[in-house]
Amino acid sequence: MSGPPPLSAAQRVAAWDAALAAVRAVLRGEGLREVVTPVRLPAVAIEPFIEPVAAPPGLLATSPELPMKRLMCQGSGSIFQIAPCFRAAERGRLHREEFHLVEWYRVGAEPAAVQRDVERLVEAVFEAVASALGQPPRPAPRAWSRVGVLALVERTLGVALHGHEDAPELAAALAGVAPALGEPLPLPFDARLAPTPRARTLAAWTAFFSAWCDARLDPWLADPSRPGVHVVDFPPALAALSEVAPGPEGHAVADRFESHVLGRELANGYRELRDPEEQRRRFEDVNALRAALDGAALPIDEAFLADLRDPGLPPCAGAALGLDRLVMLAAGRGALGDVILEPSAAGPDA
Amino acid sequence: MDVNELRKNAKLEIDGQPYVVVEFQFVKPGKGQGLYKCKIKNMITGSVLDRTWRSGEKLEAANVESKKMQYLFAGADSYTFMDSETYEQVELNADLVGDDKYYLLDAPPPGSDQPIPYDVLFYNERPVGLSLPSHVVMEIIECEPGVKGDTATNVTKGATIQGGLEVQVPLFIKQGEFIKIDTRTNAYVERVNINK
Repeated sequence: MSGPPPLSAAQRVAAWDAALAAVRAVLRGEGLREVVTPVRLPAVAIEPFIEPVAAPPGLLATSPELPMKRLMCQGSGSIFQIAPCFRAAERGRLHREEFHLVEWYRVGAEPAAVQRDVERLVEAVFEAVASALGQPPRPAPRAWSRVGVLALVERTLGVALHGHEDAPELAAALAGVAPALGEPLPLPFDARLAPTPRARTLAAWTAFFSAWCDARLDPWLADPSRPGVHVVDFPPALAALSEVAPGPEGHAVADRFESHVLGRELANGYRELRDPEEQRRRFEDVNALRAALDGAALPIDEAFLADLRDPGLPPCAGAALGLDRLVMLAAGRGALGDVILEPSAAGPDA
Repeated sequence: MDVNELRKNAKLEIDGQPYVVVEFQFVKPGKGQGLYKCKIKNMITGSVLDRTWRSGEKLEAANVESKKMQYLFAGADSYTFMDSETYEQVELNADLVGDDKYYLLDAPPPGSDQPIPYDVLFYNERPVGLSLPSHVVMEIIECEPGVKGDTATNVTKGATIQGGLEVQVPLFIKQGEFIKIDTRTNAYVERVNINK
């Protein structure tokens, strides 16, 4: 056994106190106002592989995205929140069923402005936590890079994709590299499981992206020469709740980014989707896939869609950042169990 | 069982063989599919495999039961245990017991008048393994004398416990004393005061 000695409860409290203050200082300094929205919700943003925890008659928030967007529709202006979130059956060194997201939205901003917020938050929390622990500051990434998903797929896998492949086209394009993506092949690769062409495309891309992250992206990000990376320009099938905009060579790309720090996925952001009909189709596609995968379809948040229609969401960009992971990285630890303020949670495998 | 019920020590049946999960790691891209990366050990042959499952997959739980049994004696290449209620005896092959043999006591442990109840695992009613308590108290049967006045920390010496296993103990531990040992790491935990 090696590594630094465990943090005492007092040290953990000092680290969190410093991190929370730093987050608030950065985002308030940018003119955002702090909000609190309900933790128990009638419905959540529907994702293929994020399972909400039931809290009858609703669900615990998997993220505060929908209630915050409703506040934005209703005229809140730019806002942020430090929100407790719950995702069932996520347990590991980097996953807990209960965790905290810093979630924020900037009215009228480009995603690049939100990426700069991520950079500022990382730097501020690294400094604040090191100071609270009496440690020399761990170097926060200064040189951030930005790289497109498909460019990185080509570089790490040798396969050129344009991002609009449907399920059979994607399977054909990847046939030669399937063993590199892990055996057995990901479950929804058999995209016939999904009932509609859109759901099949979603299934195929989600399966491919998951396998590629594990087999290629994570090792690529683990290189210390890449301490801070914004992975940008997602294929439209992986847009989630982001706007899809015309990209190079006439191919539309999803304006979504993921920020990785020291090899760990930390934040996910969008130019936010504002079209209620497209938003409904995406929720329905995911529900079709969930049903095919034996997971339960989830309720669609009709009040959210109604607010998107009228008064409508102002043009905005936003992101969600895993605060527990950021505190872990800032404290130089390798597992969430090393830093969280849950008295019974000690131990890296908890 | 659903793949999200996987964890360390979960027992699975794969191709008609019982496996126990010995290492478990959950990874997941934020909006992607979770991966359950496991090392699993065949409970009959002892061989270890790497297996990865993805969220949404289904597994078969192994029909493994555990029964409290008393350890009786060692044979040439097996160890015999007895159900203290039915007096039924079973033999566990030495390969399946492995280094757990060092913790088998046929007499009541120090400080107790009852024999240790060991958990013997049965797969489809066939004995396939032993599940030790995480900590046991054992007597030091041999060790070098400590150096008086040496208070340096992290200095240890070798000592042999009942059963013949050698462990590292602090210098102040003496022959004939009792110590608590972590059976998962064979590491000294603390001295235990027992009047013989």
